[in-house]
Amino acid sequence: MAKHATAQERLLALRETIAKLEGKTPTLVAEEGRQGERMAATEKGSRRIALEVDELDAALEGGVPLEGMTEIRTCAMRNAGAGSGFVLALAALIQRQAKGSALLWISDRFSNVEAGLPYPIGLAQYGLQVRHFLHALPRKLEDALWLAETAAASGALAATILEIRGNPSAFGLSESRRLSLRAKAARRPILLLRHAGEEEASSAVFRFHAEPGPAAERVLPSGTMLGGSIGSPVFRLTLEKSRNPAPLSFLLEWNSRDRQFCLARQPEPSRLAGDATAHSGPRLPASADGSDRAAALGRLLAFDRAS
Amino acid sequence: MRLTALDEVAAELGLRHGQGLAEARAMYPAIDVAEEDPTADKALLEAIADWCDRYTPLVALDGSDGLFLDITGCTHLFPGEQALLDDILLRLFQMGFKVQGAISGSPGLSWAICRFGQGGLIEGGGGEEVLASHPVACLRIGGGTIAALNKLGLKQVGDLLSMPRPALARRFGGQLLLRLDQALGHEEEPISPRRPVALLSVERKLAEAIQAEEEILELAARMALSLRASLEARGAGGRVFELVLFRVDGRVFRIAAGASRPLRDPQKIAGLFAERLKCVHDELDAGFGFELFRLNVLQHDSCEASQDNLLGKAEGEAPLADLIDRISARLGEDVLQAFQLRKSHIPERAVFAHPALGHEAETGGKPNPAVMTERERPLRLLARPEPVEAFAAIVPDGPPSRFRWRRVLHDVARAEGPERISPEWWLDQETAQERDYFRLEVASGHRFWVYRQGHYADDYRPTWHMHGIFA
Repeated sequence: MAKHATAQERLLALRETIAKLEGKTPTLVAEEGRQGERMAATEKGSRRIALEVDELDAALEGGVPLEGMTEIRTCAMRNAGAGSGFVLALAALIQRQAKGSALLWISDRFSNVEAGLPYPIGLAQYGLQVRHFLHALPRKLEDALWLAETAAASGALAATILEIRGNPSAFGLSESRRLSLRAKAARRPILLLRHAGEEEASSAVFRFHAEPGPAAERVLPSGTMLGGSIGSPVFRLTLEKSRNPAPLSFLLEWNSRDRQFCLARQPEPSRLAGDATAHSGPRLPASADGSDRAAALGRLLAFDRAS
Repeated sequence: MRLTALDEVAAELGLRHGQGLAEARAMYPAIDVAEEDPTADKALLEAIADWCDRYTPLVALDGSDGLFLDITGCTHLFPGEQALLDDILLRLFQMGFKVQGAISGSPGLSWAICRFGQGGLIEGGGGEEVLASHPVACLRIGGGTIAALNKLGLKQVGDLLSMPRPALARRFGGQLLLRLDQALGHEEEPISPRRPVALLSVERKLAEAIQAEEEILELAARMALSLRASLEARGAGGRVFELVLFRVDGRVFRIAAGASRPLRDPQKIAGLFAERLKCVHDELDAGFGFELFRLNVLQHDSCEASQDNLLGKAEGEAPLADLIDRISARLGEDVLQAFQLRKSHIPERAVFAHPALGHEAETGGKPNPAVMTERERPLRLLARPEPVEAFAAIVPDGPPSRFRWRRVLHDVARAEGPERISPEWWLDQETAQERDYFRLEVASGHRFWVYRQGHYADDYRPTWHMHGIFA
């Protein structure tokens, strides 16, 4: 009996540790334990913002967390537009829900030269309120981290966007954890935009990989599509880090007028690497019902020499 | 090389100003010679002027070796004018300077007595008698005038005083009489202080010097508390504050901090300096400690008093403004920017960025003017348009079918445009060319904003530029 009790206790302690790692409060775990092994995440602990795309929200357990850090990375600087676009779309969603409308964009000087500065008129058309859009240009990465930390901790902003390039050693796991904890404590979101970065262990709750996809066509008032036009942007996203074991890929379209995500019409399989074009043209149908090739005559006695 | 300054020993030996160095060396081979360094002299004088801020905020430089202090209204802090003068001279003497000082009713008289007399205190009205026995050179007039006066036998100021004024003015011009009147106090002579006078200021003199940052901040908070009453009386709140720290050995540090809105709360004012101190940490060398502190308000704006509510929190709590203040104090004003829209069709002119610290004050809280365009603009705009090599454009005004940007070749899949933007002839030259903007989607899915400057013509090939990146 006593042995059983200690085992129970150890089990509870372990569960508590796991809960802490997962960012839930221990009391919740205790409740869960009492309610009999119900492992479903309780929405009381962490606020989330739903992307209003059912499949995606299910994978994200309700949406992008409003308390904590979410990372969006691109594999090359040329995809900066897609990365920025997805981050800003998330920021627009957050801004719509949050009380304060202020946003802070902490930029990286090199990325500004490469991909340009945030352009307020474009941002406004993209669905953001730019009345309190602040743009910080820190000189060093340390300053940028201090800025992100202070901004998140102050609680004055709807969201803080931290832009970094590559995988600098000064922003490793411990720094990312520190930032994440600050955001959690202040109950504010930090969106980390990593240009041209590798996958790296971080304390972000989710990590997306963003690539551009071919834009949706403009919708005419009659409901038909205007061929050849460039309408709402489409991102080819891969949810790299989440509770799901396998990465999830999808094409997401951002409608800036309605400030809403929706799944793009023509889903294509994702490619993380490779330079195949986005418009790969009509695919040939898989061959079926054809005759097999002629069987080789004779019997195979030995393989050819490899070299 | 010539001698420009001598110490007491050298002067006793019989060396004089302007003497050749070779001659002086020939006379006294053992003399020590140091080369003149006007910048260092100037820096030293500035440092002494800074130090003199403890007596009065109005300190002006006089040439390369003198200072004017306007002590009007400052003497009551000391037992009297003589005590003030003694204090200055004694402290400077202890620092190793040989200084002559004088207090009188006009800068000119003080100047004359310092440089040509014994210095000291001249009571009001006694100027004429004192000055009469001094040479005319004490009137701060040019060498030519002095020589001319001497030639006529007018060697002392007393000789001039007895002359009829019209004759002097005719012979030597108005300058001589002006200087004479200034010295006698008949003519006002303003001194031009080195620094703007603070609108409000509080001072704390400590019996024991302090070094620690926490103590400095606590003191700053206490000074801000005593500043509060004056700010409230004026119905204002400070926008720019300055903390002046006087170190025991005479060095003076000034730390300025700005706020994005008028501030009165002592804790918030101290908070500004907390961030500033963190970033100037290395430069602020406490040495043996600071003995005198002053908190200045350099700029203030009107601010309405806000009443605390029952929970003890003021209504006008503005965490965003606090955040802006903190960041600007720590990393500098330029780091944090806010945007303001302008009425212009040219994309880069339609927006301008300025420090967030002054944003509210500059815009006066007005909303941005309406955006001039309904056409789509990119999320990110390049700081300056980059050249693009475009191929096979549809002449005369179509999009390119492929282009090369940053050495990468892009195949255009879809294009929208052109959107023609005319140059602003009232700013640019009249010869400035129109821009035709295109939104391009390339085969890899990237979306760009590209424009062509000018039009195709027989003898002209327009240039293409990359200006922005869409999501």
